[in-house]
Amino acid sequence: MSTVTGQAAFAGDPAVSPRRAGLLRRIVNHRADYLYVLPAIVVMLVVIGYPIYYTIELSLFKTPPNLQMKDKIFVGLDNYVTILRSASFRDVTLNTLIWTAGSTLFAFLLGLGAALSLHREFMGRGVLRALLLIPYVVSAVAASYVWKWLYHSDFGVIGALAVQFQLSDRPINFLDNLHSVLPSLIVVNIWKEFSFAMIMLMAGLQTVPDQLLRAAQVDGANAWQRFWHVTFPHLKSVSMVTVLLLMVANFNSFIIPWIMTGGGPAGASDIWITQIYNLAFGRQRYGVASAYSVILFIVMMTLGYFYVRALTRGDEARAG
Amino acid sequence: MTDATFSSRAITKRPIDWWRWSGRVFLVFLLLFTVLPMVWMVLTSIKTQFAAMQYPPQWWPAEPTLQNYARLLDPSNSVGQEFLRYFWNSFYVALTTTVIGVVVAVPAAYAFSRFRFPGRTFLFFSVLLRNMFPAVVFLMPLFLLMRWLGLVNTHGSLILTYLTFGLPLSIWLLKGFYDNIPIQLEQAARIDGATRFQAFILIVMPLSSPGIIATSIFSFIGAWNEYVYAYTFLSKQESMTLPVGIQRFFTEFATDWPGLMAATFLMSVPVVVLFLVLQKYFVRALTEGAVKN
Amino acid sequence: MTKIDGRDATAFRLQRRELVAYSIAALMSTTMVFTATTASYAQSIDLSKWSPEYVKSIAGTEEFDTAAECAKVTPLDYKGKLSYWWTGPNDASPDIERKINDDFWAAWKATYPNIETDAQNIDYNVLLDKLRTALLGNAGPMVLRLQILGGIEFSSKGYFQPLKPEDVGYASADFWPGALKSDTYEGVLYGIPTNNETMAFIWNAKIFNDAGLDGEHPPATWDEVVKDSKIIHDKLGIAGYGMVAKQNAGNTPFRFMPQMWAYGGGTLDESTDAPTYETVMLNSAGAKAALQASYDMYVRDKSVPVSALTNTQNENQQPFIAGQLAMMIAHPSEYAKMKDLASKATGADKAVADAVVENMRYGLIPEGPARRAVVFGGSNMHFIKNEYVDGGFDAGAAKAFACFWNSPEWSTKLAWTGSNPGNLRGFKTKWMKERLDTIKFLDVTTSMLPNGIPFPVVPYATEIMNHIVPDMLQNALTEKMTVDEAAEDAAKKVQDLMAGM
Repeated sequence: MSTVTGQAAFAGDPAVSPRRAGLLRRIVNHRADYLYVLPAIVVMLVVIGYPIYYTIELSLFKTPPNLQMKDKIFVGLDNYVTILRSASFRDVTLNTLIWTAGSTLFAFLLGLGAALSLHREFMGRGVLRALLLIPYVVSAVAASYVWKWLYHSDFGVIGALAVQFQLSDRPINFLDNLHSVLPSLIVVNIWKEFSFAMIMLMAGLQTVPDQLLRAAQVDGANAWQRFWHVTFPHLKSVSMVTVLLLMVANFNSFIIPWIMTGGGPAGASDIWITQIYNLAFGRQRYGVASAYSVILFIVMMTLGYFYVRALTRGDEARAG
Repeated sequence: MTDATFSSRAITKRPIDWWRWSGRVFLVFLLLFTVLPMVWMVLTSIKTQFAAMQYPPQWWPAEPTLQNYARLLDPSNSVGQEFLRYFWNSFYVALTTTVIGVVVAVPAAYAFSRFRFPGRTFLFFSVLLRNMFPAVVFLMPLFLLMRWLGLVNTHGSLILTYLTFGLPLSIWLLKGFYDNIPIQLEQAARIDGATRFQAFILIVMPLSSPGIIATSIFSFIGAWNEYVYAYTFLSKQESMTLPVGIQRFFTEFATDWPGLMAATFLMSVPVVVLFLVLQKYFVRALTEGAVKN
Repeated sequence: MTKIDGRDATAFRLQRRELVAYSIAALMSTTMVFTATTASYAQSIDLSKWSPEYVKSIAGTEEFDTAAECAKVTPLDYKGKLSYWWTGPNDASPDIERKINDDFWAAWKATYPNIETDAQNIDYNVLLDKLRTALLGNAGPMVLRLQILGGIEFSSKGYFQPLKPEDVGYASADFWPGALKSDTYEGVLYGIPTNNETMAFIWNAKIFNDAGLDGEHPPATWDEVVKDSKIIHDKLGIAGYGMVAKQNAGNTPFRFMPQMWAYGGGTLDESTDAPTYETVMLNSAGAKAALQASYDMYVRDKSVPVSALTNTQNENQQPFIAGQLAMMIAHPSEYAKMKDLASKATGADKAVADAVVENMRYGLIPEGPARRAVVFGGSNMHFIKNEYVDGGFDAGAAKAFACFWNSPEWSTKLAWTGSNPGNLRGFKTKWMKERLDTIKFLDVTTSMLPNGIPFPVVPYATEIMNHIVPDMLQNALTEKMTVDEAAEDAAKKVQDLMAGM
C-alpha cells in the first residue's frame, strides 16, 4: 500500500491535483502517456468496435437464403421479436442456464474442495496440483474428442465399465439421449475447468491469517465453524471473481458442445452460442443470429459490470 | 508453514481429523477423475484400429503398437507430412502471437500501472471487457475485416485476432506485476540521470520478467489451443493449425479413434510440457490480480 | 414382390423398362430448355438403351485427345491464372484416388503450362460454410466444384455465371439430363455436371449367415431391413443396419431419403415425374411410414448403432470393416476404401479385415411400397461472377480448366472409385473399360442411376436436407416427439420456409 502515494506523485505533475485540473488540461499534460497505451487501444477498437457495430446493424435486417447479404431487407426489430417469441428460444435459454449454472457451481465446489484439501503441505502436493491442472491447459478440442470417445454409445469405455460392474445391463447412452446429454457435457466442462477455481482459491487461502484460525481453534471452534466463520469470509472476493470468470467462460463456451454433439440430439444440448453459430453458418439467418448475439452482448455486459465491480474493489483501494 | 505444524499438533490432541481424511478421499477421487480420461486416451492410442472397435473393450491393448504415433511423426508419408506441417503452423502462430503480445502489452500495462491519465479506468476496463465477447459472434465481421486488411487465409489473420483476446489478459497480468515493483527504484534511477524510458528498460523490465514469462505462457497456450477462428479464417490446407487440422484428418472422412487419440496426445504435449516447466509463473499469472494481499 | 433371388438377371431386366421411361421423360423435359444449343451437336450416348450390358458394350470404343479438344476452347499456350476450390481426395481416400489426383494436376500443368493455378482441396462438410463466408467478402475462387445440393442456393443468390457445356466445347446432350436439370434455376443452367453418383447397398454376408439369414440375399425391401436388422442384433448383439441421423451433415439425407422415397414420401414433390416443388410431402403417409421404420429400428428394436444420432457415415466404416455392423447404404468409394483399409491392416486386424472384405457383398438399395430410390448425387462445376472473385475472373483459364476437367478422359478418371463421369462420352473411353473390369461394385451403382432422384431444385434445399430432415429424425428417434408430430413439425418448418421467401 505504501507504493500507492509514491505512484501518484511520480506519475502526474505533483503540482496539479487531478481533481481540480480541467479535463483538457489533464489530457494535454498526459499526452505522452497515451502513447504507451495507443497500440493496444487501436487494435482493440478496430477488432472489437467494428464487429459490435456490424452485429448491431445486421440484427435489424432479414437475410433470406435467396438473397445476397448486400440485398438484405430492413426489418427493424422483427428479428428480436421472432427470437423472443420462438418456442426454441425458451428451450435454448433453459439449456444455457443449466449449462452455465451447472458447470460453474460444480467447478467451483470441486475447486474449493481441492483447494482446501491441498492447502496443507504434504508429500506430493506439488505433483498433485500439477496433475489436476493439466485438463485446464489442454485444448478444448482435445478434451472434446477424448470425452466423446469415453462416452461413445457403442464402444465407449464408461458405458462398458457400467455393464462390467453391473450398474447397467446395456452400455449407457450418454450423448444420444435427450436427458443425459447436457449433464454429460457439463461433466466434461467441469473436468476442464475445476482446477482453475482450485488455483484461484488456493491463492485466496493464503490470505487467511493463521492467527485468526488458531484463535478460533483455541476458542473451541470446530473445523466447519473455522471454515465458515474465518476462512470463507476471506475467500469472498476471490470467490466472486472466480465465479464470474467461470460464468463468462461457460456462457461463451462453444467448442465442447459443438464438437461433441453440435447441439443435438434434437436440440437437447443447444445453448445460445451453438444456436447462434447454427443460425448464421448453418442456416444463413445472419440477421436473426446477429439479434441473438446482441441479446448475448447485453447479458455479457451485465455480467461484465459485476466483474468490474468485483475487481475494482481491490484496484481502487490500491490505486487510491 | 506455521499452519501445517499447527495442524499436525492438532491431530495428536484430537481424535477427529475426519476432515482431513475426507479431504484425502476427495483428492483421490479428483485425481482419478482428472487422470483416467487421459489414461484411456493413451491406451486407445496404442491400440490397432479394430482393437478399439470392440465391445466390451480391451481394457489393456492385446497388441500394443506405436504405429499411430509413427504414422503421424513420419515425414515420409503424407499423413506425417501434413501433421508435422499443422504442428509447425500452430507453433509459428502461437510464438508470433506471444512475442507481439508482449511487445504491445508491456508499455500498455506499464502505463496503466504508473500513470494517471484521464480515461485510464474507462480504457482499462473496456480492454478487459474484450474477454466478455464470445468468438462465435465476431466471426463474420472479423472475417470481413480480415478480408479488408488482405489477411484472409494467412496466419496474420489469426495472429491479429489472438492478440486481441490475449492482450487484455496480458495487460491485466503485467499491470499487477508493475504495481508490485516499488516506484522508488525508478525514482532513484532518474535522480541518477536516467530518462524515464531508460529507467523503464533498465530497472522495470528485468524486475518484471516473471510477469512477462507468465503472460507469455498464457498467450502461447491460448493461441495454440484456439479453434473457432482458425476454423473460419483458413481454408488452405497447408496453413491450418493443429486443432482444425486434426479435425480435418480424422473426423471428416473416417473416424479412426486410435489415430485421433494419438494426435490429441501429441497436440497436448507442448502445452503440458510448457506448463509443467513454468508452472510457478503460470499459477502466479492465473491468480494475479484476483487475489489482493 | 419379386424375391431378390433373381437379382442378377430379372432385377436388371425389370429395371431397364423403368429406365427407358425415366430417361425419355427426363430427356423431354431438358430438351425444352436446351433445344437451341443442342441442335448443332450429335448425341453420342443413347440413354434409351441404358443398361449394364449397354454400358459394357460401349466402353473402350473410342479414343479421345483431351489437349486437342480443349485447344479449340482456349489455346494451349494461353497465359493466365486460375483459382479453384473443390472437394478432392484426402488421406482417408483410397490410394488410387490420390494417385489419379496427382496425375491430373501433372497433366493440367503439362497441357497449359502458362496458367498459374491455385487449387484448394476443401472437405465436404466445410466447403459450403467456407464458400458462403468467402463470397460475403468477395474472396471466392474463379472456378468451383460443388455438390449438387449446394448449387442452387448460390445460383439463386446471383453468385454464379450462367454456364453450359457448350461454353467449354461440349454438347449438353452428352450429359445426364437429370444432372443438368438439378443445376438449372429459373430456366438458366449454372454449371456443368462433373460426375453423377448413386449409392448402393453393402452388407457382410458372414454376419447374415451367422444370424441364420441368407448371406447371399440381402433384404429386398425396407421392411425386411427392419426385420433383418432386429434378427442380427438379437442373435449376435451387434448393429444390424448402419443408420445415420446426425444434424447438419450431408450424409444423413443421402442415407435417409432413399428410404423415404421408397415408402412413397418426400420432402417436396421431388419424387414425381414433373416436380413443381410447391407441395410439402414431409407429412404424407409415405414419409411417416419411412420415419416409423427408422423409429422401429432405433427405438423399438435398438438394432442400429446407438451413436447414429451423432454419427456421420464415416463413423460406420470402422465398425463395418471390424465386423461389428451388418449392412449399410454405401458410396462406391467406400467399397474401395474398405479394401484399402483391409490391405493396410496389420497383425490381428489383418485377419478380421480380410474376412470382412471376403464377405462383403453389394447390391441394389432395397425398395419400398412405392419404388426403389436413391439420391441422384454428384457435383457440378461453376464459374463465379467476376465481382466475387478474389483477384478477378480469367475466362480463358477458367474455360480451359472446365474443358480439361470435364473431358471424357478426366471426367472418367477423376470419378474412378466414387461415381460415374459427368461427361457421358467418358463411358466410351478405354479407362471406363478398365474401371468396369477392376471395380466390381460399379455395376450396381451404375444400375442404380435410373432410380436416382435429385434433391429439390430450390434455394433452400440445403436447409431442408441438412437441417429439417435430420431434425425430424432426431425428434422422432429421441422420442422428443411422436413420429406423427415429428413429421408434421418438419412439414410446417418447410411451409414456413416457403412462405418466408
